[in-house]
Amino acid sequence: MRLGMVIDLKRCIGCYGCQIACKAEHGTRPGTTYARVVKREWGVYPNVKKLSIPVLCMHCAEPPCVEVCPTGASQKRSEDGIVFVESDFCVGCRACVMSCPYGARYFQDEQRDYFDTGENEYEQALYAAHQAGVVEKCDFCRHRLEQGQEPACSANCMCKARIFGDLEDPNSEVSRLIREEGGFQLNPELGTDPSVYYLPPDR
Amino acid sequence: MMTTEAASQVYEDTWIPSACGMCYNQCGIRGHRIDGTLVKVEGNPDNPIGRGRLCARGLAGIQLLYDPHRVNRPLRRTNPEKAIGGDPGWQEIGWDEALDEITTRLKAVREEDPRGLYFAGTVISLAPLMHALGTFLPAFGTPNSFVSDGHHCGNAEHILARTLHASVTTNPDVAHCSYLLLFGCQAGLGTYYALTTMAQDVADARIRGMKVVAIDPFLGSAAEKADEWVPIKPGSDGALACAMLNLLLNEYELYDADYLRDHADGPYLLTEDGWYARDRESGRPLVWDANAAYARPFDATDLGTVALDGVYQVDGRPCRTVFRALREQVAKWTPEAAAEVTTVSAETIRKIAREFGEAASIGKTIVIDGQELPHRAASALYFKGAHGHDNAWSTSLAIELLNEVIGASNVPGGLLGTNPVCFGHPETGFPRWEPGADVDGLLEAGALLYNDPHGRSPGWPPPPTSAELPNLRDLVGWPITTCFTPAALNDHENFSFDHRPEVLINYGSNLLMSAARPEVCFEAFKDTFVICFNLHSDETAEALADIVLPDTSYLERLDPIPNFTRHHHPVGMGDWGHTIRQPMVEPLFERRHFSEVLLELGGRLGITEPMNLLTNHLYGLVAPHALAPDEQYTWREIADHAYKGWFGEERGLDWFEEQGVITWPKKVEEVYWKPFIHARAPLYNEWVKRSGEQVAKIAQERGMKGIDTEGFVPLPDWKPCRAWKPRDGYDLQAIYYRVPWHTFSMTYENPWLDEISRGEPYSYFVCINTATAHAKGIADGDPIEVEGVDGGTIRGRARLTQGVHPEVLAVANNGGHWAQGMPFARGKGVFFNQLLPMDLEHTDLVSLSMDCDARVRVQKVPEA
Ligand code: SF4
Ligand code: SF4
Ligand code: SF4
Repeated sequence: MRLGMVIDLKRCIGCYGCQIACKAEHGTRPGTTYARVVKREWGVYPNVKKLSIPVLCMHCAEPPCVEVCPTGASQKRSEDGIVFVESDFCVGCRACVMSCPYGARYFQDEQRDYFDTGENEYEQALYAAHQAGVVEKCDFCRHRLEQGQEPACSANCMCKARIFGDLEDPNSEVSRLIREEGGFQLNPELGTDPSVYYLPPDR
Repeated sequence: MMTTEAASQVYEDTWIPSACGMCYNQCGIRGHRIDGTLVKVEGNPDNPIGRGRLCARGLAGIQLLYDPHRVNRPLRRTNPEKAIGGDPGWQEIGWDEALDEITTRLKAVREEDPRGLYFAGTVISLAPLMHALGTFLPAFGTPNSFVSDGHHCGNAEHILARTLHASVTTNPDVAHCSYLLLFGCQAGLGTYYALTTMAQDVADARIRGMKVVAIDPFLGSAAEKADEWVPIKPGSDGALACAMLNLLLNEYELYDADYLRDHADGPYLLTEDGWYARDRESGRPLVWDANAAYARPFDATDLGTVALDGVYQVDGRPCRTVFRALREQVAKWTPEAAAEVTTVSAETIRKIAREFGEAASIGKTIVIDGQELPHRAASALYFKGAHGHDNAWSTSLAIELLNEVIGASNVPGGLLGTNPVCFGHPETGFPRWEPGADVDGLLEAGALLYNDPHGRSPGWPPPPTSAELPNLRDLVGWPITTCFTPAALNDHENFSFDHRPEVLINYGSNLLMSAARPEVCFEAFKDTFVICFNLHSDETAEALADIVLPDTSYLERLDPIPNFTRHHHPVGMGDWGHTIRQPMVEPLFERRHFSEVLLELGGRLGITEPMNLLTNHLYGLVAPHALAPDEQYTWREIADHAYKGWFGEERGLDWFEEQGVITWPKKVEEVYWKPFIHARAPLYNEWVKRSGEQVAKIAQERGMKGIDTEGFVPLPDWKPCRAWKPRDGYDLQAIYYRVPWHTFSMTYENPWLDEISRGEPYSYFVCINTATAHAKGIADGDPIEVEGVDGGTIRGRARLTQGVHPEVLAVANNGGHWAQGMPFARGKGVFFNQLLPMDLEHTDLVSLSMDCDARVRVQKVPEA
């Protein structure tokens, strides 16, 4: 099994719901956004286009981040291809952050809070799960998968633009979409072989 | 709920169903509470409103609940000097002290003249707002209420939603639509009614092949996804729609004659003076019976073929049909004429008119649930971008008539009123509302906001009678909301009132920022005793409030059937879903629910009895579930009555606390009701013409100089809005647009949503067309100053973009807070409303829409 996600750039309206669904699920600190949205604009008025491109960890089949990790904290799960960080082994050297071509890894130098008054009740409850001085990233919501749920971002997306599934199963929805709707990876030339595919916005 | 007792501690891990309150849409949510702390809010898949998916705001609500800057205890002003941006010198006081003082003040006002109590509220908290408007205020005896975000509300759209769709709002039936034309509106693609459900449906429809055309000066989230972005000069949408009508009716002949003849007033005859020609005896409007060659009442039993088009002699005088009048009315709007004002090319206008007309598939039918129905697969929808101008009425009418002429009105594929027909829950038959026809055969809405058990609301529109109410309810009583009150209070030339605002209760709204520039509301209420009931000590509280009361957020309070006004349900087939809003945590600190405090105040003031009777009216409660007049109920008891009254004895408050939502399938006759209900949509608005004459008369009698009734037109036309008035050097129009992760200005205090805006390229900047900026020597990121022709200057940083009309500056929502009590929001984004005055001159009197754009000039300024 190789878990992956298809992001349909035609469906996506760039609402940032995925960024907040992720934040709400993981309770991450300011500046850490495992799921985020990149906005692009091109052309000359009035022939101009905008595009919203949601990004997250690509869960590369050939992940440079895992390769460079000196302690083995960054790993790829053999059973489903999920790339994750075992916080207990991470020494915070940030080699992986430098090696990731997709900007998917986060390291907090100092543990910042959103409000100047410090952590509120919610943050006290949620930040406990985040160790200081380690690299953090999207793990396809492993804890949700264990409970039979899909990742928070795809479960919530109000345009149903994020589809999660098994890339190795030719009958899965993700495989069908990639095949029939022209699915593509970001920067395939880097040889990382991402497990996140995109569907073209104009089709 | 699940609570288990471990050896040494109570361990709690529970999910609670409720309704979102981060905007107006009331989507279904559920919250995860562990050991008393709310740790997650997400969509409730059991609820048809959102179907388990939320927008960014709804997901971020937890940071409103636990915002450390919330007001937690009643506050009293110690600095007697009220000032915009001033320091009120808050002192914490107890609830008893606060309510004692408020009671004393209110008692005095009520004895003197109850109209001395003014009320301002926000539509975001619609259920508590309706409770105040529907029970406390009329029981107290004051008509002086207004909705501060009225400025940014539907105004004209609500009027036409009522006359043409028997509803408060509309949404397109995208499940059967193949061409969606959006005029300054982002249905399903940005912010709009039923956003989270519409987003799913619009995405599905677009994948299926529905084409979207976005007419908008700014390339926002709808235009981004549109197949075609048509940039237009702000305020000229009406001219474009008139030209499209002209093409459809007079050139392409793409219209639905059967619909216009049988389901609209198309064949009604008009006298030369512009009134319906009426039968001498019955007073009924006349149509031309082509077989008899005679004018006969529209409802004559043995009518022959009715003529849709033409001019006929009635009593020796020529009478045009409404249809003919419309054709002639729009004839001057050639695509070339419209191109000149809209800056949209004539070629584009022709193209979209033809595509729209052809997509309508006039004559085709579709079978849904065994019923064969007309299938008109095109919709034109509009919102503030199109009607936020002082030509709102005519503009909105022109766009609505696009749907009417192709018959795409309340049939599959067309524009649907938001749920104007409901046969009720299968077991109780309640709630029930249904439109019908009035004596002229025209559509009359069923109960709209209130729940009259008879399900109808006749007697609309209220005729203009006077000008003695600052909210203009006696002059222009038909718009459902308005924020005109402060403008009227300030306008001593045109208005004189025999009472003044002694006390203002301001619920949940930030008047100073949301209505217009802050000076307007400050001036109107600076000598008033102001009580702000709110989540934060915001700009309004700090400038005006004498007492601030700490409100509960939507995650801490109980609202019975918060979506009882039917426009919160998505349109189209699917399920009805009536829900609960309940506390996910008990109110923190000393926060209290506004509705509960009103009940207590009602008791202290001795108005419990009328409040109870009005509560029965609000929820449509009849025996045995009606409230007894003389009993003092708790809020929970009232909720229990409401639920049982609607859904039966066994489904009271307890049931809803557990289950969260009750659902049942909609019927095809409820959703696509037009073919089933014999009531005609009025293309011709005789009532507007009549109202205009009455308003003019009242204005003349009272010596009001600023009342211009030119806009009271029965058929659409176009005139420039106020922001088009030329003035040397002021070469641009400033507009605001909406992003789907902010609601008005209130969400700027939310750190997660702020994080979005800071990472996004446009929303904290002033967007200016790249070529325009270059010509002015403005570079990307430069600090700039935008000066409005009517005064008011805003500052921000320039964002150069190709995605905005060259004559336009675009600002997202309404940021730039300055209150000490909203430190997180302070200085974020741009305060657009500073540019907007509020007065008769900038207001469309028919709909009370204000010009939400401004003529401006821009210049680069030195770094602060
Ligand atoms: S939630 Fe869905 S529609 Fe919104 S930005 Fe993310 S992927 Fe796009
Ligand atoms: S996107 Fe970056 S972090 Fe994710 S697997 Fe690839 S290299 Fe590693
Ligand atoms: S659309 Fe409004 S009600 Fe629905 S989730 Fe978003 S903020 Fe909440």
